Parts: sequence; structure tokens; C-alpha cells
Amino acid sequence: MANLGEDRFRYPAGPPACALGINTNGRFTRSALMKSLLSLVAIVFGSLLAGCKPSAPAPAGGTSASGSAGGTQLTIAFMPKSKGNAYFIAARQGAEQAAKDLNVKLLYDGPTEPDPAKQNEIVETWITRGVNVIAAACENRDGISTALRKAQSRGIKVITYDADAQPDSRSFFVNQATPEGIGNALMDEAARLLNGSGDYAIITASLTAGNMIDWQKAIEKRNAEKYPNMKRVALRPCDDLKDKAFAEATAIMNANPSVKLLMNICSPAVPGAAEAVKQSGKVGQVKVIGLGLPSENRRYVKEGVTDSVILWKVQDLGYLTIEVATAVAKGELKAGAASFRSKKAGEVKIAGDNVLLGTPFIFNKDNIEQFDF
Amino acid sequence: MSNSAVVIKRHFRELSVAAVFGVLLLVLAVIAPGFFSRQQLLTTLTAAAPVLIAACGMTLVIVCRQIDISIGSQFALCSMIAGLLAKAGLPMPVVALGAIASGGAMGAFNGALVAGLGLPSIVVTLATMVTWREALRWSREGEFVKDLPDHFQWFGLGQGGGQGVILIGAMLVFGVLVLAMKHLSAGRYVYAVGADRESARLAGIRPGAVTFVVFVIIGGLVGLAALLNAIRFADVDPKTGTGLELQAIAAAVIGGVAISGGRGNLWGVLAGVLLLASIAPALVFLQMPPQWEKAIQGAIILLAVAVDGWRTRKEANIG
Amino acid sequence: MTMSQAKSNWSWSWLRRLEALLVIVLVMELLIFSRTGTNFATRENMFETIKLSVEIGLLALVMTPVILTGGIDLSVGSLLALCAVGFGKFWRDAGLSWPLAAALTLGLGSLGGGLNALLITRLRLPPLIVTLGTFSLFRGLAEAITQGVDNFTGFPEDFLAFGQGYYGGVIPAQVPIFLVVAVMVWLLVHRTTFGRSFRAIGFSPEGARYAGLPVPQRMAIAYLLSGVATALAAMIYVARVGQAKADAGAGYELLAITAVVLGGTSIFGGVGTVTGTLLGVAALAVLKNGLQLSDQPSELAGILTGGLLLLALAGEAAMKKISARRGRLATLGASRGQSG
Repeated sequence: MANLGEDRFRYPAGPPACALGINTNGRFTRSALMKSLLSLVAIVFGSLLAGCKPSAPAPAGGTSASGSAGGTQLTIAFMPKSKGNAYFIAARQGAEQAAKDLNVKLLYDGPTEPDPAKQNEIVETWITRGVNVIAAACENRDGISTALRKAQSRGIKVITYDADAQPDSRSFFVNQATPEGIGNALMDEAARLLNGSGDYAIITASLTAGNMIDWQKAIEKRNAEKYPNMKRVALRPCDDLKDKAFAEATAIMNANPSVKLLMNICSPAVPGAAEAVKQSGKVGQVKVIGLGLPSENRRYVKEGVTDSVILWKVQDLGYLTIEVATAVAKGELKAGAASFRSKKAGEVKIAGDNVLLGTPFIFNKDNIEQFDF
Repeated sequence: MSNSAVVIKRHFRELSVAAVFGVLLLVLAVIAPGFFSRQQLLTTLTAAAPVLIAACGMTLVIVCRQIDISIGSQFALCSMIAGLLAKAGLPMPVVALGAIASGGAMGAFNGALVAGLGLPSIVVTLATMVTWREALRWSREGEFVKDLPDHFQWFGLGQGGGQGVILIGAMLVFGVLVLAMKHLSAGRYVYAVGADRESARLAGIRPGAVTFVVFVIIGGLVGLAALLNAIRFADVDPKTGTGLELQAIAAAVIGGVAISGGRGNLWGVLAGVLLLASIAPALVFLQMPPQWEKAIQGAIILLAVAVDGWRTRKEANIG
Repeated sequence: MTMSQAKSNWSWSWLRRLEALLVIVLVMELLIFSRTGTNFATRENMFETIKLSVEIGLLALVMTPVILTGGIDLSVGSLLALCAVGFGKFWRDAGLSWPLAAALTLGLGSLGGGLNALLITRLRLPPLIVTLGTFSLFRGLAEAITQGVDNFTGFPEDFLAFGQGYYGGVIPAQVPIFLVVAVMVWLLVHRTTFGRSFRAIGFSPEGARYAGLPVPQRMAIAYLLSGVATALAAMIYVARVGQAKADAGAGYELLAITAVVLGGTSIFGGVGTVTGTLLGVAALAVLKNGLQLSDQPSELAGILTGGLLLLALAGEAAMKKISARRGRLATLGASRGQSG
């Protein structure tokens, strides 16, 4: 344990001068070995700094380490908000499939927990490495835009997916649906289940996540416009943790007995809240809906705890992202296009610079068996 | 001094923590009685039970004048192992043994480095915390362990039975440790090594062996805590256990365990665990924003140690 | 030679050997990654690596005197967040110019360090627990101030240049600042009597007290410095990322401590060098950067960091044992020579 002043027995209390004396000795006994080793490091470092080779400017195009057969295979760098999230795992599966189909090299990296600063660092390192396109899901809009703009200035194309950055830092945003589409789907489904009136609570991932904030605003707007008899009584974050969502949901239900529905806009929260409802014995009294993955919620949907899970085909989102990335890198997709042909998703619309996957999809008892992600 | 005054003085820390807890409960009873609904109480207590077990283990470690900040990663790994074993079709007793054994193994690794090589425990457990956590993340990539057999949740005993098992299990562990620390010579050895290692060695105790065993014990306890926590749910989240080491250390410190070793008892730790476990749900009930949780936790820790320090100085000045 | 002199000699010699090992590790990293990493061995990448490690580097630099006194400071990451958020608030909500806000932020950092110092030196509380408490407290305050939501952005260009700009298009703007601080800390710790007192206090607080050193004051200054440097790191962070949010700096304290210990500073205090810390920071930064440029997942960096730390510690312990044995044999031989 760090010295706490009670270490009488660790070092015998010798003449006080010794306590100071070691340092005097130490200063004069730095050896030549140490000096020469340090200079060795300085030499190696210095020669690297002086530039054995100047950094390869724009994308290395995969020539150095990719080992691709024959020249210019595109390198696309794909970044999730956080690696520890089944949603992004599914997106990655779609992306890897697309990479195989389109014969591009896919780099996948991201922070293990949602962390905007780490996202920046990863982008910076990709800029150094040299890639053709960066496709990122942005935890926080503003911070990452700095790094993305720098990438663009180096000739790297940038697109975003799932969660956007600032518009001038990327060419396109591959959106699963508009925030309005998502918010409306959630609010409408909630209203349907509660017959247009009642109290509900929202569980989100973190209060600072950009796209969550967008969806919340859309939900509020829809609530105010169409369902005046529905009231949101609580909004709590679960930090992207299922068990915390469980604890929050339990507390919300006990603190606000009038709550009739739990709306979970972060994917680990949906099974967490469902478990909370189940353990509280309130199945049927408190409805559960949210944005979640079919595989995580199948059990609860079948047991009738969760009524509907809204999402989109996440793998298609990943697939589409890589398709758009490739098209942008090859110059096939330019600003101002109105639609894009995707192998998986068909003809998708482009609104401004948003490539829209489609509308949200509602998974419920009838269809959840068919989906595997 | 009168008898009661002596008792109060000796158990000042435990009583004051209990008093603070009491005040919190009182406030909740007035403003938000929903906190005391059976469901909420059960949830709060079953969530606190694994933390209590881990905090008891941490107490042993701190009394022995070491520290273990890797228990969060140990907890996550043991939960995963429990889930994977259950998924492989093994019966629950084997799953339980597996979880506890893997915890013990990790504790043994820490203990071997600390006791065997004499490395400082804070750095060793820092290194193992990072290594195990990253290794877990790399292998699972955040994926839950899903589709567990039905007898996993609640040991197949249903919610009431399972919650009972968790609470009784925690109380048993607590009781055994309280008795062992007080009455078993092995328990007293831990205090001895923590208070003064050299004197303990001269008295015939083997500090290295004691330290090693303490780490194995906390590892095993963390494995047990992980198991009891995992069975509350139907699938296992690899991100579980985040921040457990802080909660355990905070509970121990608030409960009066001295970080310099050799002092402290488990009743204070119990009070500390209950207090800390109530903060988060209390915030929901008091309609306070969740951001205050960390600030309040930090303030309580500082207050607890500050009071300690102030009292020590006062006594030192007087005596 | 007397026992204490023998001890002081071997304590310095094994430290030197550990630093030498670290140098070897660093060189190996550089060589390996220039093979496996794309664009690793380029001037731009070297500067990028330095740029990205400035914040942790600053924290590690001031963590060194703290650990030298035998203490520890777990709160630096959270204090970084609090200072970042504070800076944002001073600039945006109080409408101050950014240099003034920066000065106030430095003051905020010293307040944070001062709180640690007060509790540790006045109330004689263990640094581990105090900084554990402030670790939660500072982060909690940062989250409470921003309601968890608020994110300060849109800082003026000339401020952002400190984190994102380059001198002559090549040298990142924060590097000179870092170098200046590094030199200052090195001078303080290794060339002033003030700095020597840190090691004396860590080696034996009682002995230092008997020697007439004002132990509480010196320790307090170590924590105060830590707070001020954290504030500086916070502002560089905000300039680099372009935003100030309450989740900044999470996990930074552990990286800083790892770098310091890797660099040969004993966690018990009394032994250590600033150059060692710098080597530690370099080793960790190069490891992370090299792995990423070699297309390895970031978790591998974490695993290798933990492994490296364990190896360094085990190596240190092994060398200590060897030296001690050699010392014992030497004194045995000397006494035998004397008697017979």
C-alpha cells in the first residue's frame, strides 16, 4: 500500500541524513550505460522523426499492408459508437458481407464504451494510416466533426451512419430512418397500446448521445401534436447497461405507479426493462416497447412481456453503409443524387445528403421468429 | 465513562453510518413511501447482496493492508463463465462451483504476485484489472450470453425462491465471515499481518501465506457474488460489474475499515453497502436528476474519512 | 560499506536497470511496428503519437512527484472533466474571453488539487481514499453542472489552434507546451532541493520530519501542482477534441499511474525519475499507436499494457532480489574477511 507514514518497520529509522543522502548519491551515480541507452533511443526516434519516409499523403489505397492481389483495393474504415453493443455487432456483420461482395478491405475499430474522445483518436490514427473512406457512427456530433474535417482535408472521404456528425464534415449520412420516422413510430406504437392516454417513461442510453436526443425531441413533438392525453413522467439514462436499465425501470415503476408504458430507446434497455416488469409482476399492466434487437427480446415478446420492438434491418444498414462508402470513393455517388441502388435494400431514397434505409420496422409476436440478429 | 458511552464510542463509525442511513430512510418514508414497497425493497436488497459479498472480501484484503481493484473484471469474467457453463448444459451446482473456482483462480494469480513476488497490490491488481477486462471485451465483443436454459435464472426456483436464495446466501457469507474474523485464529492472523507485518512474522504467522489466502478468498467471494447476481437475469451482460471495486472499497471505507490495515469490522461494511445501494433508487424516488449519484457518493466517502481523521486528531491532541 | 549505503547503491542501480529495460522495450516497439504498421515509421505519425499522448503525459508528469512522496492521486481524470466543463462554463455562460477563462480554469484545478491536499495533509487521511472520494466527487460535480447533457462547443479558432494547430505545418501545437512542462517538472524533481524533498518524504516521512523538512507543506504542493497541470491538460483536451463534456478523461488516471510505475517509480514512494515517467508514457503511446496502425483491435493494446506492467514489476522484483542477495553475500564476505 502506498506509504502512509506508518512504515516504521519497512525501513529502519536510520540517521536522518540517510533519508536525504540517497538522493545525493543517486545523482552522482548515473551510469554511462544509461546515458548511452538514452542516446540510442534518441537516435532511433530522431531518425524516424527526420523522416525515413515522409508520410504517405492521401489514402495508401491498401498497397502497403493489405496484401491484396493486384493494386488498388479500397480500404474502408468502419467505426461503431462502441464495440460492446449487439446493435453494432449486427451492423458489422452486414458491413463485412458487403466488403466481401464488393471486394474492399474493411477496417473495424472503435472505443469499447461510448467515448467521443477515443473516437477522435481512432480517426486520427486512420488518417495517418491512410484509408480511402471513413464510415463512422458518431457518439457526439461536434467533437468528432473536427477529426472528420481533417480527414476530408487529407483527401479521405467521410460518411456517417446511424448517428450523424456536422453536415460539413461528411459527404453523406446513411440514416436508418429520419428521427421523425423513428420518434413517430415509437410514439404511435405507444399510443396504440395505451389507447391514446396514459403516463409513460423513457429510458435512454446516456443523456448526451446525439441521436438519442434527436429521437427524444421527435417523440416529444409527436406527443404534443397528436396525443395530448399522454404524459412522459420520467426520463432516465441507463449508460448502455442492461442491468442498470433493469434497476432504473424497477425504480421508475415503484416511484410512479401511474406509469403504464416503458419506452426504451437504447437497445440494452429493452430486455432490461422487460425483465423489470416481469419481476415486478406487472406484465400486462405496464407495457414495454423500444428500439431493440429481435434476438435479445425474442423471449420477452413471446412471453407477452414486451409488445413490440421497433428497429430496422441493422445488417442492411451496415451493408448499405459500405455500399455508399464504396460508391463515394469511386465517385459513382455524388452530391445531389436523389436515389441509390443497393443490392440488399433495393432502391433507397436520398433526401438532401441523407441516404435513407427506409422506415422503421416493427417486430412483434407474429414475426420475430424470422429474424436472427 | 458510562457503559453506553463506551459502547457508542467504540462503535462510533458503524452507528453514525447507520444513523445517516436512517435519516435517508426517514426522508424517503415521508416523501416517497413507494421506496418501501415490497418489490422495490426486494430489488434493492437483491442488487445489494452481491455487493455486500464483494465488500466483505474487500474488507479482508484491506485489513490485510492490501487492495484489490481488479474485482470488477473478475466479476464480469465469472459471470460470463457461469453463463457459458450453463449454456453448455452443465447442472447448476457445477456452474456455481465453476464460477467460484474461476474467481478463486484469478485471486490466486493476484495473490501469487503480491505474496510471492512482493509486488505492490495496487499495481498488480491495476494490471490484472486492465488485462482481464480487455481480454473479456475482445472475446465477447459486448455480446450477451443469451438463450440460457430455464434453470439458470433463479436456479430454477422461481423469482421468490431465487431472491430468497440470494439474500440468505449473502447473510450466510456475512455471518460466517464475521465469526471467522473474530473467533478463528486465521481471522486474527489477517488483522495481525495488516497491523504489523514484521511483528506478525516474528510471532510465527506467515504473512505471505496469509496474504495469498486472502486474495484467493476475495476471488472466490467475487465469483460467488457474480453467480448470485447473474441468476437474477435471463441472460448475462459482459459489461456487468463495472465499478464494483469502487463500491466495495467505498463501502468498506465508509464502514470504518482503515486503509492502513489492521482495523475494521464487517458491521460497518454492511451499513455502508446498504447506504450506497439506496442512493441510486432514492434519486429516482426523490425525482432528482441521476447525475447527482456520483457527487453524492464521493461526498459521503470524503465525509466518512474526514470525520475519521478529525476524530483521530482530536483524540491524539487530547491524549 | 555501511548497510544504508549499500542499500542506497542497489536501489539506484536496479532502478537504472529497469529504465534501461524500458528503453529496450521502447526500441523494440519502434522496430516491430515499423514493420507491421502502415505508415508507422513516418514523421507525421511520430508527431501524431506525441500529440495524442500529451494529455496523459501531463498527468503522468505531475503524478510522479505525488507518487514519489508515497501518495497517489486517483482523481486526475475526473478533475480533468471538471476543469473542461468549468472552462466551457466560464467561456460560454459567463461570457469571458478564453484567456481569462483559461486562467480561471487553472485556478479551478488548483482548488481541486487543494482539496486533495487539505484532506491528505491536514487531516492526515490516506491519499488512496481521499482521491477515491474526489474521483467520484469531481466527476459527479462535472455531470451535475452540465446536467449530464450540456456540451460546450464552438470555441474560437485561436483557442482551438492549441489543440489542433501545427507549427510550420509539422509540429503539433501542444508539443512545445508539453516539453516546457516536462523540463520544468524534471528540473523541479531532480535539480532542486525542493524536489529532493519529495523523494525523502516518500522514503521515510518520519525521517524527513526529523531532518527538518516541512512534510505537510511539501506534500500539499505536490497535489496542488497535480491539480494545476490537470487543468492545463483539460484545456488542451478541449482544444483538441473541440468540445467540453462531463465524460472527458475517463480512465486517464489509471493510464497515468501505469506510465509512472512502468517508468520505474516505486508506488511506495522514495524512488523514481521523471525521465522514467516520460519513457513510460512513450512506451504506452507507441504501443497503442503501433497496434492500431497494424490493424489490431484496441483491446489488444489494453491487454499488452497490463502484461507489460506486470512484466516490469516482476522484473523489478527479481532484480531487487538478485541485488539484495549480492549485497548480503558481499557483506558476508566482508565480515568473514574481517574476522578471519
